[in-house]
This record gives sequence, C-alpha cells and structure tokens, in this order.
Amino acid sequence: MPVGHECFIGKSEIVLKSKHLHIFAHTGLVVCALIYSVVISVSDVTFIFHQYERSATVAGEGGLFSGVQLRHAALERNKRCLLAYLYNRLEQIKKMRWEFGSVLPAEVKFNMCEQEVQWFGRYNKMLANYMRSIGGEGGMDLTQDLKPPKTLYIEVRCLMDHGEFETQDGNIVVLKKNTQHFLLRSECEHLIRQGILEHIVH
Amino acid sequence: MDPAEVEFIAEKEHVTIVPNFALDMMYLIGGDVGPFNPGLPVKVPLWMAVNLKQGQKCRVIPPDWMDTEKLQEKKQEETDSRFFTPMPSQHYMEVTQLLLKCATDDIPHADEIRTLVKDIWDLRIAKLRSSIDTLLKSDATHAKLNHLTLMELNTVRPFLTKALDQMHVLRSNIYGRIQSTQE
Amino acid sequence: MSLDNANNYFSIDDILATQQRVPCKVEMPLYRLGYLDSSNEGEHLRPGTKIEMPYWMARALCGRRRNIVSVELPKSYKEGYREILTADPTVVDLHKLGPYFYRFGSELLKFEVPDTPDISKSLLQAFQGRIRKIMDSSQNAFHEDTTKLTEKLDETERILFKAGQCGLNDFQRWETRKTEKLTTSEMVRNHRKRKRGPEEA
Repeated sequence: MPVGHECFIGKSEIVLKSKHLHIFAHTGLVVCALIYSVVISVSDVTFIFHQYERSATVAGEGGLFSGVQLRHAALERNKRCLLAYLYNRLEQIKKMRWEFGSVLPAEVKFNMCEQEVQWFGRYNKMLANYMRSIGGEGGMDLTQDLKPPKTLYIEVRCLMDHGEFETQDGNIVVLKKNTQHFLLRSECEHLIRQGILEHIVH
Repeated sequence: MDPAEVEFIAEKEHVTIVPNFALDMMYLIGGDVGPFNPGLPVKVPLWMAVNLKQGQKCRVIPPDWMDTEKLQEKKQEETDSRFFTPMPSQHYMEVTQLLLKCATDDIPHADEIRTLVKDIWDLRIAKLRSSIDTLLKSDATHAKLNHLTLMELNTVRPFLTKALDQMHVLRSNIYGRIQSTQE
Repeated sequence: MSLDNANNYFSIDDILATQQRVPCKVEMPLYRLGYLDSSNEGEHLRPGTKIEMPYWMARALCGRRRNIVSVELPKSYKEGYREILTADPTVVDLHKLGPYFYRFGSELLKFEVPDTPDISKSLLQAFQGRIRKIMDSSQNAFHEDTTKLTEKLDETERILFKAGQCGLNDFQRWETRKTEKLTTSEMVRNHRKRKRGPEEA
C-alpha cells in the first residue's frame, strides 16, 4: 500500500518539470487531474490510518508512530507541491494580464482550467476598478507607457493582418500586413506588445 | 530600474541653447522656461533642448565640462584617486549620450569626447566592482560610497542586492537564528 | 526567482532543493515501511539499516524530540570536500555537488550535526571566494554563449549571474539606443515560438 510514496514522487516530478518547461505547458485538464489525485491520496491515507488503528496489536503505539509520522510528512509534501504548482501558475496568469492585455489569446486560454479563467476575469476587473479610481477623471491606464515615452506619435509597420482599427479622432486605419502607419503611441502600444505591429525607429 | 527611466530623470537637467525663434515665457509643470529670443542663449531642460534641436529650432551650447581638456584632466584625476571623484554632472553619461546623438554638429571634437566619457565610465565601474567585492568579503553590513551617479549604481543594483540577500542568509546560519524544532 | 527567505513555501527552487537526498540510518524499527528501501526484503525496516531518503522525509523523522532515523552528512559537505573548497573555491563544480549546494547546505544545518559551525563557515567562505568571478564574468558576457561560464555554478549562483547580466545588458541596450524601440513582449514571443514548434516538426 505504498500510496504516499508513489504520490509524492509523482508530484515532485511534475514540479520539477514545471520549472524547466514553461509552467503553462500543462493544460487545465492536467491541473484538475492533479488536484483530484492528491485529494484521493489524502483520503486513501486516512483510510490506511484507520486500518492501523484497528490492527494496533503490532508492537503498540511506539511502533506505529513512525509510520504515521512518515505518511503525514508525505501528505504535507504533496500538498506543498500541489499548492506551489497552482500558485506559480497564477503568478504567470497575472503576468499575462500585463503582457497580453485584458483578452487572452485562445491557445493560452485552452491551457487554463475553468477556475483559472475565472480568476483572470476577477483580476482583470479588480485592476480596471483600481485604474479607474486613480488619476482624476477618466482614470489612468497603468498598463501603458511602461517605459518613458519619447514621442507622441510613432511609425509602425504591420506584421500581420489585423483588420480595421479606429483611431481616437475617428479615422479608420486598415491594418494589412506590411503596411506602414503613423499613429498615436498610446493607441497602438498594446498592439506592438502583442506582436501585431512593429515599431520603426530611425 | 530601467536605464530609460534613469534617462528620463536625467532629461530634467538644464542645458543652454540658442533658439532661432521667438516665444514668450512658458509656464510648465517642471518650471518656467524662456522667454525665447532669436540669437539669445537661454537655459532649458534637456528634453526640450533635444526636441527643439530635432525640429531644427535651435543650436546647442555644450556644457562647460564637455570639453576635451577638462575631460582629460578628469580622467587623470579619476585614475589617480582610489575613491570616486565628484563628477561635473550627476548625469554625465546620459547628457553626453543625448547631446552627442542629436547635436553632434554643435559639439567640437565629438568623437574624442565620446571616448573620454566612456573611459571615465569604465574606470569608475571597475572601482565600483572592487568596492563590491571588498564589501562582500568583509564582515561589514554597509558601505559608504561618495559621488556615485544613478546610472552607475543602476547597472550593479540587481546583482548587488541579490548577492547581499544571499550573504545575509549564509551569515545568519553562522550567527544562529533560533532553530525551530520541526520544519 | 527570489533568493530571500529560504523557507518560502511556494518556491519551486526550495521544493527541489529539499528533494535532494540525505544518507540516514534507521534508529527505531519502522513497521510496514519496508518498501522505502528497494534492497530490503522484509515488510519492516530494522534499526541499523542504512537508507537514503529525501531531505524533507528525513526532517520529519529526525528532530529534537524524536530520533526515528539519524542523519549523516552527505560527502559533499564533509571535511574532505570542505578542505578542497577552502583551498580554491573558484574551481569547484558546485553544480555537480548540488545543484542547490548553498540552499541544501543551509537546510542541512537544521539537523545540528557536530560539524555545523564548520559547514556554515565553509558555505559563507565559498560564496565570498567565488562571488568576484561571477560578478566579473556576468558583467563581461554580452551576447556570448554563457553555458561555459555558468556550468560550474550552483542554482543560487546562476540566479546571481543572470542578475549581473541583466544590469549589463540593460545598460548596453540603452547605450546603443535600443530602448527607444517598443518591442513585442517576451512572453508573446515565447508563446509564438512554442506554437510554431509542433507545426514545423
């Protein structure tokens, strides 16, 4: 019945791999399966513990203590591995809000489990509320101007087709691959970060 | 801190220009600027000087210290001294970079100036690294370094702070934190 | 990745460091745990058995109040290796001895083996001895292949190396005026690379 043993080896391996791969290579399904298996192992161990209690004739209390101690430690270890994995994934998701913007690309979303998608939505909302509350009327977009801006307008080139884009003063710009445009920096900064436009410097 | 942010702070430094246009005094958030009269030198913040120069609206007058003889002396002074000497500008590196980029024609011996400033920078950075090494090898918990500029400090900040953190962990192993009985 | 507070619960580096194995000797019989030792045939572990177990497991079984197992120092922290480290800290391959040499070493001290003060001194001195080389090589390694420079460093030192490089790279990018250009975010670029990967395979 080496339940604890197998479990902790399994979880530690996943944590190990997470560190060296991108932690988001595992899909939401894997996350759920992980949680499920650890929870199962917890209940298994409690079951074994009760079995121990019933067959307490083997060498009395002192003898059982080490087994209990070990299983308890294994449980705590599993729990720690799992929580660390989930926590680090959430940190990545938080970072994504600042890199990808408020809408995540489909492939990234595919790798998130339902609860993580919801978490992202709540984080988004919280950030938006905060940004709205500072900087006087109209709020302040903190995700913009992450570096001090040098000019008001910048020249950009389209790296891929992105359809039509309406500027602040109502002009429609067609973002077709390889076209160049002269736009307000504040309007297109996020498109540059997402890799859709390329900033041209002379 | 990003070097771009250090540059942003440096751009507040004042520089003398000679405008070719006329304009009344401007009341900006950072302070008052002007009035501008064609041919009359006026002090403006560096960011404005760069902007005006790029729009071909002025000529830049290099700061006093941006002169080959003076910089040569400074370099000698820096070489001879064990410690850091005070720099003519707290943002000497950034000012040099920006002015040499946009106003090369207004600065005599631009290439020589560029080389001299880089040499002074290299000297100071080397001294900085030795100081850090000494600090890390000693038992001291803090050190005082005079006349360092923000840009110089910024290049070592990530390394130094992490190294000191690790030293702290290793030192507290020796001088004992209270060992908890169980993890 | 942060270096602070070696007992950071969520830190993956900490979890991996505490996974490293420690040689132990069983002091009290461990019933029904015979499977922990693959060479053991019985159902139980007898006192006197020598077994290697991960640090976290040893910590649970060996403390002030109970000594179910006793812990022996791994050889990389024993006197022999300590002497090598003192002689010339810069040549030792700490990645091979580790890869979490400092972190694991600090954790080992919690077992309060008699060598503890010597080990803690040795760790500090090794670190102080190696730091100059790490600083210099990280600050001069712009764009080069850094694997040669970092292969003998343990994980903690590699983080420091990256930090040094960061300071240097950022400054050089500023010097060559590359910071003016807004760029695609690092995350997006990596994401695209990964996406294209399987398609091109």
